[in-house]
Amino acid sequence: MLLHEDTYRHQAALADYCRTGQYNAIPGVREQHVGQYRRLVYNVVDDMLQSAYPLTRHLLSTREWNAMVKEFFSNHPCQSPQVWYMPRELYQYMTQKGHRLLRKYAFLQELLWLEWLEVELFMMEDRPTAYTTIGDLTTDPLVLNPEYALQQFVYPVHLKPAKEITAADKGQYFLALFRKPDSGEVTFMNLSPALVAMLELLQEGPQTMDALVRQCCAAWQLPVTADLLAAAKAFFTQALESRLIIGFKNH
Amino acid sequence: MVGIGFRKDFAVNLLQSPSFNPAFIEVAPENWIGVGGYWKKLFNQALEKYPLYTHGLSLSVGSPDELDLDFLQKVKCFLQENNVQLYSEHLSYSKCDNAHLYDLLPIPFTADAVHHVSRRIRQVQDFLERKIAIEIVSYYTPVAPELTEIAFINAVLEEAGCDLLLDVNNVYVNAFNHHYNAKAFIDQLPMDKVAYIHMAGHEQVADDLIIDTHGEAIIDPVYDLFTYTIQRLNRDVPVLLERDFNIPELDELQHEMDRLQAIKTANLKKTAYVIA
Repeated sequence: MLLHEDTYRHQAALADYCRTGQYNAIPGVREQHVGQYRRLVYNVVDDMLQSAYPLTRHLLSTREWNAMVKEFFSNHPCQSPQVWYMPRELYQYMTQKGHRLLRKYAFLQELLWLEWLEVELFMMEDRPTAYTTIGDLTTDPLVLNPEYALQQFVYPVHLKPAKEITAADKGQYFLALFRKPDSGEVTFMNLSPALVAMLELLQEGPQTMDALVRQCCAAWQLPVTADLLAAAKAFFTQALESRLIIGFKNH
Repeated sequence: MVGIGFRKDFAVNLLQSPSFNPAFIEVAPENWIGVGGYWKKLFNQALEKYPLYTHGLSLSVGSPDELDLDFLQKVKCFLQENNVQLYSEHLSYSKCDNAHLYDLLPIPFTADAVHHVSRRIRQVQDFLERKIAIEIVSYYTPVAPELTEIAFINAVLEEAGCDLLLDVNNVYVNAFNHHYNAKAFIDQLPMDKVAYIHMAGHEQVADDLIIDTHGEAIIDPVYDLFTYTIQRLNRDVPVLLERDFNIPELDELQHEMDRLQAIKTANLKKTAYVIA
């Protein structure tokens, strides 16, 4: 390495100060101005996290939020060179650490993940897929929106304001988050376990609604009834309108 | 030609405005690599209208850490895919001890840092198979300096064989913060290496400190320094207006770009006349 140990040490000391706010004297540094670096660096990180996690920011007190951000940035070496991707590392940090706030707010881990998923789906690269918007819902193979994620939550973090969620809300909540192809907006649809199973099948490739219903019924040893088919049709009609189902297989 | 930093805050207005006419746009590759959906559509629309210049934020050429070659590969692909005219980075570091800091820290002005940074810039240029331009950053304190700022910069430019992105506002800010003459500083720069110029506003936060915010209009003394720079340069290079925060109406940005272009035109014409 061409860099002398002293030079490295001075650079590391300034970087460490920016991360932790704890200043140890560095030769030649104007102490009355060096605080600008800590302020600028911290503001970038704090702004980005607030932007990615607005619901979490609203849930936590200012003291809790600031303590969390300071702890995260001090202890965690941020790996992403892309600052917009950095907030994912907060979720990972909190989860891996089993942070005390996750115990105070039992639903916080899911809330953080929901917020990050929304960012990721909004920002992620396009996943080109072949489809046509012209088709028949009852007979043509359906194509799933490729920019989507299936998710299961124990708390209804997608349905209720975080401050109103209680232990009584604990349950099983299934949803599909997806990016609308025209607007880029990220939205979600609530799902039943049966619908999750059908979407998982659809993930493997285009299939007709009828085939999806029959495979699920066979797996669960249920008869294919007119009611089931009608319920499936109602769901897929809505899914097509909202673009969770992006269209039909191109013949 | 005078361009503008393509910011998400005014991307839609920029694309829709018939009276806003930058000659090119500039982005940080970091903010667009791996991005799809809504922003990608706007970005693609912008690319249909404007040539693209780029100004990196995270390569951290001044870092003690190893270069992130995976990231550099992504930058290379981005430059190729988007027909980028020029790639520039900062003479600073934003990563240390394997941790990104997301802002630009000053490199100690030392001889060993010159060799270290220069080797890394050469490595980047070899990897990207193109020359890059390195920007003089604004700084608010020196760190363990052994050389003067100008000696450090000139040594890096010489040893790295790279171009210079001359941020005129940064020179003004540094001259104020560190008590030297901005014009004398510019006199000492190798003008033949200037490939690109940045112009921006700043904020004075204390009697003895200016912060390079990109959040205000360019002030007259910086325009004056720009005029002086163009006269010294004596040739046309692309100029970028940076505005990242506190975004005004596009008319105001257009007015700033027009003023920059007028200074270029007037001073380059004058020079041509004198030579003739």
